[in-house]
Amino acid sequence: MLNDLRYRLRALFRRNTIEQELDAELRFHLDGQRDKYVASGMTPSEAARRVRLDFGSTDAIKEECRDARGVGVIDEMVRNLRYARRTLAKRPGFTVVATVTLALGIGASSAVFSALNAVALRPLPFPDANQLLVISQYEAGAAQPATFVAPARLEDWQRMASAFQGLSGYYLDDMTETSGEFPERILRAWVAPRFFEVCGVAPSIGRTFTRDEERFGGAPAAIVSDRLWKRRFAADVTAVGRTLRIGGRSVAIVGVMPATFAFPNGDVDVWSVSAPDAPYAQNRQATWFTVIGRLHPNVTADHGLSDLARVQRDLGRQYPATDGKLAIRVTPLKAATVGGVTRSLWMLFAAVSLLLLVACTNIAALLLARNAERQHEIAIRYSLGASRAAVVRQLLTEAVVLALVGSALGLGIAIVALQAFRALGAGLPRMTEVRLDWTLVVYSLGCAAVSVIVFGLFPSMQTARSHEGVSNRRAETMATNRLQWTLVGIQVALSVTLLFGAGLFLRSFDQLMRVSPGFDAGRVVTFRITGSWSETVDMAALKRRMLTTLETLRATPGVAAAATAVAVPGVAFQFNTELRIVEAPTEASTKVTARNRFVSSGYFDALAIPMLSGTQCADDAPVQTAVINRAFEALYLPGRNASGSHVQDIASGRIGTIVGVSGDAREQGLNEPPAPTIYWCASAPNPMPVFLVRTQSNDPATMTETIRRTIRQIEPGRAVYELRPLAERLDDTLAENRLRTILLTSFAFTAVLLAAVGLYGTLSYIVSIRRREIGLRIAMGALRSTTLVLFLKQGIGVTIAGCVGGLWLSAAAGKGLSGMLYGVTALDPSTFAIVLGVMIAIGALASVWPAARAARVDPIQVLREE
Amino acid sequence: MGDERLDLPQGTLDLLILRTLAPGPLHGWAISERIQQVSREMLQVPQGSLYPALHRLERRGWISPQWGVSDNNRKAKYYALTRKGEKRLAAETHSWRKLIGAVGLILDMD
Repeated sequence: MLNDLRYRLRALFRRNTIEQELDAELRFHLDGQRDKYVASGMTPSEAARRVRLDFGSTDAIKEECRDARGVGVIDEMVRNLRYARRTLAKRPGFTVVATVTLALGIGASSAVFSALNAVALRPLPFPDANQLLVISQYEAGAAQPATFVAPARLEDWQRMASAFQGLSGYYLDDMTETSGEFPERILRAWVAPRFFEVCGVAPSIGRTFTRDEERFGGAPAAIVSDRLWKRRFAADVTAVGRTLRIGGRSVAIVGVMPATFAFPNGDVDVWSVSAPDAPYAQNRQATWFTVIGRLHPNVTADHGLSDLARVQRDLGRQYPATDGKLAIRVTPLKAATVGGVTRSLWMLFAAVSLLLLVACTNIAALLLARNAERQHEIAIRYSLGASRAAVVRQLLTEAVVLALVGSALGLGIAIVALQAFRALGAGLPRMTEVRLDWTLVVYSLGCAAVSVIVFGLFPSMQTARSHEGVSNRRAETMATNRLQWTLVGIQVALSVTLLFGAGLFLRSFDQLMRVSPGFDAGRVVTFRITGSWSETVDMAALKRRMLTTLETLRATPGVAAAATAVAVPGVAFQFNTELRIVEAPTEASTKVTARNRFVSSGYFDALAIPMLSGTQCADDAPVQTAVINRAFEALYLPGRNASGSHVQDIASGRIGTIVGVSGDAREQGLNEPPAPTIYWCASAPNPMPVFLVRTQSNDPATMTETIRRTIRQIEPGRAVYELRPLAERLDDTLAENRLRTILLTSFAFTAVLLAAVGLYGTLSYIVSIRRREIGLRIAMGALRSTTLVLFLKQGIGVTIAGCVGGLWLSAAAGKGLSGMLYGVTALDPSTFAIVLGVMIAIGALASVWPAARAARVDPIQVLREE
Repeated sequence: MGDERLDLPQGTLDLLILRTLAPGPLHGWAISERIQQVSREMLQVPQGSLYPALHRLERRGWISPQWGVSDNNRKAKYYALTRKGEKRLAAETHSWRKLIGAVGLILDMD
């Protein structure tokens, strides 16, 4: 094999030498033979003649030698390529349509593949990333979802679990960094010991924390992100060893992480140790850490789970009060990071693959028609002795040339499309990892190879077959036509499927936009002010700070209302709580669960949520108060006077007096119907709540500078961040939905366009080969209108057949979409009806042109051409 | 000469070339002369197929070419049997003998 390759390469690149050698070799033979004849008594001229007779044509022998060497194949390829270039250049219309079609198909599908690969297929950027799990604890049987993990418990897990190489944890904290000119908000990840070992990533400069630094009272140390290092230290290597001033304390920089390290997320600026042996960390009910663990090699996640569950059962026996009811849940880190986007991407990938298939089918139909026009030429080739394989090779070369040019252009389109993809999907996980790499190139070449098989091999074989042996021209033409119509039908069916999917998404998006959220985001600006969890040691001071800030904001001209809340309304925030209604009759056994939100005074004004009865939260209430929404009242306190009732939070034991009932608001996201919600009144729910400011201006963005200035006046040491209109944030929550709707719609339109071109092209071709017959019919008295209808019926018939197939496919595909839709079912009949209407109308439009051309055929002219 | 000559059965030329090269390297013309001579002029190598066959065998790595000087002091391309070629020759000889034997049995039946 290797020998063969070396031989062929030598044959290819050292052509002249080899030709000379062959020449010399043959000449030597001829001379030897001639000398032999001369020695046997012939005259030299007679001997030379005899030799030539014996030997035959040296050129033919040379040719056979070249064939024997395998040079012939390459020669043929070069000849075919040259020929393909000429024939393609001769029909620029066809060539351009085919290449552009293919480039669109390959480009779109490469771009989607690239995103799928970066987000869903490629492992997370950690070594052996599949060993990483997110581990959470939850109270068995409680409505509350997973809670954070106490440092003491994490250390127990680390000590007792055997399936893990190591366990660590983190939590995020906003800090103010003041070593620069202005106070800057930085995001700090407080990490448990072993954090970087578990991640398996080392700093690019400097080191990780020492054991001493990981203990309580150790020297404060920080590892900074590549971003912060570039921003603040201009990528100076001497930054390691310098100090930052974070939250009023000096912290030495010991390392810089590589730019690729973005964990827990890409916004983290600084990693610091949260020592598990600190006195305040010993309470087993403290909830701090999100825990990650790295499994031993070849240990499954299930094994890791059962191992930790065993450990936790032991801990439950040891600490029944705090650990008795806790259960463990594990999620692969990748699933926890990427989440539901994977499904959207697979859906888009399936859709774009259908589009590519439509493109290939389209070109196959075009090539068939074109090859049929070349019947004459191919027949001559056969009669000159070309083998069937040679004819297939020649026709295939053209397809290969088209595919290569198409995939090169497609790669260009993919690169542009990737930019658009990243912009559209900016809010989605791992989008920054979507980039141009070699897999994209390999994939698009793979697409080209597959498309050659689909659109090249198939028509070439068909064309070549129809010429073998005694041919029945009419039967062949019929067979080719049937094949072409089948291809058109397939295109229509696939387009209908895509169009149906796009229709469902469009309707779903439209439904979502019509939803009344129950609150008005239009004039609201949101932002946060840096704070630190350490402020929670003095809750009174924290509350004073919040109230001062709120009062200052409310006094600012242009501000209509101001409030704080734990989470941004309209953005999913999973926090359910289990409650007890104090006044409820004891026999009532209904479990009371509600969404938990913490809001300050002015919240309902800021969001324009109407109060149905009672009052809002007040800043100076002497007892814990709460507001419930209408859904809560209707479900748990029907027919009773809600205001004045008391509720108790079962987990914390906190009791609150209900002071009012608000309207329902879709605070979990537009696609979530309002759930029973309890708003606990709390001016300072945490040190960095979301501030919500309702402005008097219609364009809240104009107020951002005023707000920044106002806060700087009263809080010179704190930074304002995430300052954005609420409407913009709500818009972000639709990023995934919008991305898939836009992409699927554009794929569907492209597919429909291609199918229309395919239908038009095929019908035009059929009209052109049946011109003579049409002319005769008309000459014999057929009506032009009958001719028109004849061809129109053919085109529309194929469209309808394709639609039927498409409906069947859509019904199957619809099942896969069901979880992604809002307000429409996966088999929505009106979407079906609209799609069918559109497709048949387009089919008719694409057919009417060629059909009209058929009706205009002039019999005189046709007969004269004969 | 003339009528006594046999046409080479399909596929035997390769075997003959390999066998002829077994004692030592030869150039193309010498190969054709040797076959003719050893077969007592009964086998004549078709001149037109000798060189394509040599090139084919070279490509398969059964013989390897080298340029040398002939008896009459001219540069000539000599072919030598390779290790692979020796194995091939043994295998082909064996199967050819078996074929002859089998055909002989059929012809001698009754």
